Amino acid sequence: MRAYSASSEEALHARDLLKDWSGEGLLTAEQCHRLEQETVFELRRTNIFLRLALFAFTLIIVGAAVGLFFAVFLSHSGEQTTGIFLLIFAALSYAAAEIAVSRAKLYRYGIEEALAACSVGFLCVGMQIAFFGGVFSSPTSGGTGFLVPAAGAIVSLWIWHRFGLPYASLAAMIFVVWLPGYWTSSPSWQHLIVAAFYAAGLVTVAAVRPRHRFTHLNKEYSIAEALLWLGIYLAINLQLSSVNLLGRWWGGSRATNEFSGPFYWSTWILIWCLPPIALARGLRRKDRFVIAVGAIVAILTLATNKPYLGWPRHTWDPMLLGALLIGVALLVRRWLAKGPGEIRHGFTARRLSGKDKRWMNVGVATIGLVSPSIMTPSPETGSPDAHFGGGDSGGGGATSDF
Amino acid sequence: MTILTRLEQWKECGIISSEQHKLLAGLSRGEPFSLFLELNILLYAGILAFIAGLGWTINTWSQQLGDVVILTFLTAMLATCFWYCFSRAPAWSPGETPPPSLVFDYVLYLGSLTWSLELAYFETRFHLLSGQWDLYLLATAGLFFFLAYWFDNRFVLSLALSTLAGWFGLTISHWPSNQDAAYRQYAILYSLMVGGAGAALQRRGLKPHFFGTYLNIAANVLFWALLSGVFNREGYLIWLLCLVAACGASLAWGLKRRQFSFVAYAAVYGYVGVSAVLIRDMNDGTVVLSYFVFTGVAMLVMLVQIARRFGREA
Repeated sequence: MRAYSASSEEALHARDLLKDWSGEGLLTAEQCHRLEQETVFELRRTNIFLRLALFAFTLIIVGAAVGLFFAVFLSHSGEQTTGIFLLIFAALSYAAAEIAVSRAKLYRYGIEEALAACSVGFLCVGMQIAFFGGVFSSPTSGGTGFLVPAAGAIVSLWIWHRFGLPYASLAAMIFVVWLPGYWTSSPSWQHLIVAAFYAAGLVTVAAVRPRHRFTHLNKEYSIAEALLWLGIYLAINLQLSSVNLLGRWWGGSRATNEFSGPFYWSTWILIWCLPPIALARGLRRKDRFVIAVGAIVAILTLATNKPYLGWPRHTWDPMLLGALLIGVALLVRRWLAKGPGEIRHGFTARRLSGKDKRWMNVGVATIGLVSPSIMTPSPETGSPDAHFGGGDSGGGGATSDF
Repeated sequence: MTILTRLEQWKECGIISSEQHKLLAGLSRGEPFSLFLELNILLYAGILAFIAGLGWTINTWSQQLGDVVILTFLTAMLATCFWYCFSRAPAWSPGETPPPSLVFDYVLYLGSLTWSLELAYFETRFHLLSGQWDLYLLATAGLFFFLAYWFDNRFVLSLALSTLAGWFGLTISHWPSNQDAAYRQYAILYSLMVGGAGAALQRRGLKPHFFGTYLNIAANVLFWALLSGVFNREGYLIWLLCLVAACGASLAWGLKRRQFSFVAYAAVYGYVGVSAVLIRDMNDGTVVLSYFVFTGVAMLVMLVQIARRFGREA
């Protein structure tokens, strides 16, 4: 079922670990060279920058080629014909992705990924145009329109399973968000259905994962599980709900007072229950992505608690949140550092992988430039005396907007 | 075959020692599991949230709190941060120096952001330099550069570079007319200056690991500036030539130094710029789409060749 052989992917995984260990000085250059010969793989891959560029240019080529086909041969065709040809292009794109993998042995190369992405896009647009009359028709209850997002979700899941692309599972989750709009007009039920789908996915992934714990597939399942935890949280947090946001984009916003009292307060209880559960599971399994999602949803709960309760926000709320985050980080670090060998319960605050340093460097270069504009938000309220205007913003946070 | 099986085999073959096997097998199983990255992100997010809240609070409640309270609080915070950093800093070295502790870099970052906040408050309240923000920004950029090089801190280096960019931006805001052209010229000047300074400092062996940050910022600013010229309705040819030259240089640099972000910059910015000129007078949709198909294929072939020859490893 998998497009790549397990031995190739495992060898590739081993090669990555060798590179990391060698960079950290845990293996000598001679050992690393010898072990690299033991981990030969037939797959062809490239670095992240060329991968992104290849992805972008493949999208341009496929999009322009399909556009050209319609412009030359089907300029006056009806909607159904257009839709059917888009379905054919979806099949062709998918076939091209399979060929790129099986013949050219491309692995995370950008080209096969873009072709797979195009196949999902063409499939959904083609189905919508061919069978349901136009791309921009809004979802209505009772019809078979749900087949479009359902097909998108199923094919995305298949691509995730077949090619192992982590973002394909995210695409499947996004398609699921559209499904309940075709079945019910009740916002509460829409939230529940989306959360139920994600929960079912989570149970499945949790059941399958243990047998892949130390294999190359562990990371893939870890990302999928983390995304599902995040999805469930966003579905039940009515202040940030994905259903709600999509509803707003689709036309007309929904207020949280449309939800019944018991449902509303149940979700409030759940947004407090979910973060510790996710965090505990991530820490118990030593799963980096699940730990990260657990921390993110915990912060989101703190940030959305006041709007949930209808309490007014205060200007010092971010300060308190910041102080809490700093305090937690310092306490955890100090607690870990006091353990024997700076290790407690199998956790340490020391850097063990060169990847952490690379991530830090990339993060500093990108986020460091963005931060100054974040740090001085515009005032929510204030008297003319309290607000001092004039001047232009600049870097380093030295804005004159006081 | 999992990595644990491989490690067992390598130990039996004598390629790795028993100690190495124990260590590497433990790392593969997540024993110990490092929370280094997570703690760093928590600290960074915490400081940003804290400073954002502080700025918002001062902004809203400055009248009620009063200048003395605000300035005393900010000055105390600033002094504490800088005292902490100067008292715990390791001996200065022109090479890469690891921070003495996990929190060290973040305390310096907090101090730098507090400095910006206090300076902005001071000027808006007392108008010491009569609203000459340019001078504040230039002085702040200078201070941040000093702190970044003294404490070997990339967070503060990024702040310094963005503050310097702000200084260039503020100068333009005083420009009476033709702001777009002036902005472009200043952006080019900024990128050349930053790139040149980064190269000079690297050549002198002064924190050479900072060079990548300088070069990436300079390249992106330069490409954006040149692209804005290419999108002009008139006089765009000179900008196109400059863009092609910059792309050539970026490509050569990227291939020579195996820094593939520069190859990607050359490909993407170059393609956008050249395409903008070539298709600007094309009115036939078929011709435009044909252009994208053929040029897209040409770019793809070129990138695949580069990837096969130079950029195999992820």
